[in-house]
Amino acid sequence: MPLLNEEIRQEVSRFLEDLPGPVRLVMFTQEFECEYCAETRQLVEEIADLSPRITAEIYDFQADRAKAEELGVDKIPAIAVIGAQDYGVRFYGIPSGYEFSSLLHTTRSVAAGKPDLSDATLKVLGGLTKPVHIQVFVTPTCPYCPQAVVLAHQMAIASPMVRADMVEAMEFPHLAYKYQVMGVPRTVINETVHIEGAAPESMVVAKLQEALKNN
Amino acid sequence: MLDFKLTTPQREVRPSDEETYDLIILGGGPAGLTAAIYAGRARIHTLLLVGPLPGGQPANTDVVENFPGFPEGIEGPELAQRFVAQAERFGVQIVHDSVTGVDFSVRPFIVRTDSATYRAHTVIVAMGAVPRRLGVPGEDRFFGRGVSTCATCDGFFYRDKRVVVVGGGDSAIIEGLYLTRFAREVILVHRRDQLRATQIYQERAFANPKMRFVWDSVVEEILGEKTVTGVRVRNLKTGESSVIEADGVFIYIGMEPQTQIFAGQLELNERGYIVTDRYQRTSVPGVFAAGDIQDPRYRQLVVAAGTGAIAAMEVERFLEMYPQNHQ
Ligand SMILES: Cc1cc2nc3c(=O)[nH]c(=O)nc-3n(C[C@H](O)[C@H](O)[C@H](O)COP(=O)(O)OP(=O)(O)OC[C@H]3O[C@@H](n4cnc5c(N)ncnc54)[C@H](O)[C@@H]3O)c2cc1C
Repeated sequence: MPLLNEEIRQEVSRFLEDLPGPVRLVMFTQEFECEYCAETRQLVEEIADLSPRITAEIYDFQADRAKAEELGVDKIPAIAVIGAQDYGVRFYGIPSGYEFSSLLHTTRSVAAGKPDLSDATLKVLGGLTKPVHIQVFVTPTCPYCPQAVVLAHQMAIASPMVRADMVEAMEFPHLAYKYQVMGVPRTVINETVHIEGAAPESMVVAKLQEALKNN
Repeated sequence: MLDFKLTTPQREVRPSDEETYDLIILGGGPAGLTAAIYAGRARIHTLLLVGPLPGGQPANTDVVENFPGFPEGIEGPELAQRFVAQAERFGVQIVHDSVTGVDFSVRPFIVRTDSATYRAHTVIVAMGAVPRRLGVPGEDRFFGRGVSTCATCDGFFYRDKRVVVVGGGDSAIIEGLYLTRFAREVILVHRRDQLRATQIYQERAFANPKMRFVWDSVVEEILGEKTVTGVRVRNLKTGESSVIEADGVFIYIGMEPQTQIFAGQLELNERGYIVTDRYQRTSVPGVFAAGDIQDPRYRQLVVAAGTGAIAAMEVERFLEMYPQNHQ
């Protein structure tokens, strides 16, 4: 049984038409597949079927440990969205519900290798000298969340210093607990700074600078 | 059951700030998207700024039962997604950006976002409304960390917990019932001694064993050190104060328009809603408004959609007479 019905398949094909560059969806699962690992694998394979420029690569989190380490993947299911280079764009947990939009949106941006951010933001990101790790906690039923996820991913595309993860809170309850997630989206920058809700670009940039000061 | 939603605009072309649009629609809810469907079909050169919530309020509503054409009811997010898809189909350029300022004193009008400045001959304002806050101590501190206005987003975090829902209207009941899927107990705190919600929702709420009701009471404070531990309520009839233990608080005490950026430019009423006439015209010729941002009375999807359609049809008429209309 396909995960994507015919209607959504058509929408996705249209959305991915003339993708500006090739994209690899590098997915990590394991032999005894975790909750939603099987579905996540199937999802990336179905998406790859809908565009000639997208390839799905499936790795085993245990057996291919070196690969996981190379990409900094520390939990599964995981998808690394990789274009002309690895920008540090990750999805942890299945991108279903509203997060499906995030995955496709981010895939387009990775294909283009060009972030859609304001000049002011690009300037700040261009000047980064320390690494930044953005984690955006979401649930699949949260309509505000894709904005926060896509924005974080754009920042990763813009700067080699930035890595950005979507983390699906329901699949990683220990992380939700660790970061005291009681509402989504919740963005955690370098473990220290938190943002509640989908904040505008300029505010995320300000928080990012705050996080770097703390370090 | 997994589902997959595509609410992202098809093409993230950066719209050009050089060209002047015939129409810019502010807001991608039922009103703005209906206006976009009409404008697209009329071949009006249109840009739509979606803002923070693509599809508008239905995107975080559990089920909609009174939108015509869906006899079994339709999930709010699906309806929202269908609005977006239909508007896109007719070629309207949709951008994920929020308005931060406007200038309606110049022609063409100016619309600003965080990252760009756009120009347009006409504007439809359809930015809807956002949930009203309680304005009590503890609320801001715990917002997004125990205090929420989105049950569909955050309900999951209250599995087997106790939550307080504040309000007595349709939204409070619908979302309260939704929360009973996760929570052990849902305590509804309402300022009157009876619900304002539609009869059919009241019946369901009273029949639900997980729902409890605290009448004639208002929340005065949200309590907790690191996390929410409860609320302090005051009974309006007896004046007595008491504490209800809870892990989370969901607020559904109505909506309010966000019209600060229009202050001094468009006529607003005393509650901050944009004043419109029956043709959805505002106090500035060429600027129209539709949906909840100008409607404190009905606040229904069909009405929002209806006023969006009127606004777009009036824009079409306005542009036909253009540029005389702007002299
Ligand atoms: C929980 C709940 C349940 C409901 N149930 C029903 C129901 O069963 N039946 C019914 O008929 N009605 C129901 N309603 C009411 C209905 O959803 C609203 O009347 C309707 O959505 C109003 O549409 P709108 O387009 O005017 O505004 P909204 O739906 O509020 O949409 C506003 C749009 O403006 C955008 N926006 C906001 N700020 C900006 C900005 N700065 N720049 C650009 N864009 C911006 C937002 O992103 C959004 O897209 C319900 C509402 C709620 C909250």
